[in-house]
Amino acid sequence: MIELVRDTYRYRELIWALALKELKIRYKRSVLGFLWALLNPALLMLVMTLVFSTLLRFPIPHYAIFLLSVLLPWTFFSQSLAYAVESVVGNGELIKKVRVAKLVFPMAAIVSNLINLGLSMIPLAILMRHPFYWTWLYLPVPLLALTIFTMGMSFFFAAINVYYRDVAHILQIVLSAWFYVTPIIYSLDFIPANHQWIFKLNPIIYVINGFRLSVYYGLLPKAPSIIASFVCAFISLFIGFAIFRKNQDAFVFYV
Amino acid sequence: MSDSSTPIRLEHITQRFRVIQERPDTLRELFSKFFRHESHYHDFDAVKDVSFEVPHGQMLGLIGRNGSGKSTLLKIIAGVYKPTAGKVEVHGALAPLIELGTGFHSDLTGRENILINGLLMGYSKRQMQEREQRIIEFAEIGDFIDAPVKQYSSGMYMRLAFSVATEIDPDILLIDEILAVGDAPFQQKCFERMESFRQAGKTIMFVSHAMTQVARLCDRAILIEQGTMVADGPPDEVIAMYESSMAPEVVGA
Repeated sequence: MIELVRDTYRYRELIWALALKELKIRYKRSVLGFLWALLNPALLMLVMTLVFSTLLRFPIPHYAIFLLSVLLPWTFFSQSLAYAVESVVGNGELIKKVRVAKLVFPMAAIVSNLINLGLSMIPLAILMRHPFYWTWLYLPVPLLALTIFTMGMSFFFAAINVYYRDVAHILQIVLSAWFYVTPIIYSLDFIPANHQWIFKLNPIIYVINGFRLSVYYGLLPKAPSIIASFVCAFISLFIGFAIFRKNQDAFVFYV
Repeated sequence: MSDSSTPIRLEHITQRFRVIQERPDTLRELFSKFFRHESHYHDFDAVKDVSFEVPHGQMLGLIGRNGSGKSTLLKIIAGVYKPTAGKVEVHGALAPLIELGTGFHSDLTGRENILINGLLMGYSKRQMQEREQRIIEFAEIGDFIDAPVKQYSSGMYMRLAFSVATEIDPDILLIDEILAVGDAPFQQKCFERMESFRQAGKTIMFVSHAMTQVARLCDRAILIEQGTMVADGPPDEVIAMYESSMAPEVVGA
């Protein structure tokens, strides 16, 4: 774990440059470029408001904000994983020619998606016709937990995808199933009380809860929920990074 | 015995690769292999028990046929491979020029690649910004520096890669055949630079199939055959051995 902190610091400039490279390539040849990171959630908000509040008449006021408060962090999580899983294999040519700390590749995937998340929060903050709660200031806390959680998962999937390329495909299915079992488009209150415990086994639910409470409800999560979110995050990081570290010297033979 | 600051020291290096005829790349193949109890691989030693040292100020030529293990050796020194057995010691900043366009990203411009390439080799952003102008001047690729490198010719690629690797002023330079794609004037420029590196006491390892280059530039040559070091000495002698070892097959063909 010390190695993770040390190498992340040592290669911070490289991670940053690789992250910017990824963003640049993502928005390359689009006329609006980086603006898409802002426009995407703004347009999505419009669609969601139209569909759920106007057409379907969902019993949740300000549904777009209810949704986006957790959909944007979720998108960060799933996009980071989608990028990270391919990050080691995708940089195979580089790994075969230069000695480089392998962790820079999943880290760059996460950093680029963090930047994207930051940009996409702006329209949420500006456009919402919803009280702007001071609890927004609490956002860095769930964001930190989510980033740590994402790092662990990213290291894990990036490492095993080196050996079995099926993993990238499996991950897509896992992520879409995971999306529906997580209270993102719905609220946990919709679930009968005697079944809620099943949903609480989902390790990402605690951090998701932190985002929704602070942005939509203007509340802070309770201490056990905060602790649970960090416990899940660090378990993910310890396991994910341990597997990545154990295998990183062998990556070069399989990429 | 040499002191610990010898730039490159290899002791009994062996690099084993698992050559897999049909690697189970997907889970389906893994399962089918598992149930049929088959294995489709054999172990192959690309480098076998190689030991040598390269002192300061030496330009060492590595020669041998395709697949003899020259590039594998360079990659071991560069730290790309962790050898199966043996010990590698490298003292000093190292710049690897292994294959064309080491670490260049095709969608980024030459200028952007200079930065990423330098960061990959462990230099800071500031150090690279200080060197950027000199790198561009040496490469002589004009306005192409701001074009994506996928539009480069192989010669331009090599020019930029060579400039980055040498302008960062490493203590050890590893060059793997890439000079072959440069035109004669640029090759000349590269040779001059390598010569000045040597005079500055830097260490250069140079893989080439151009025996005249090896004879002209290097002060020592090592011949590798099937992963084993078979000769180590003055370039003309080692080259003569190499050429005579090939002769029967040339006649036979």
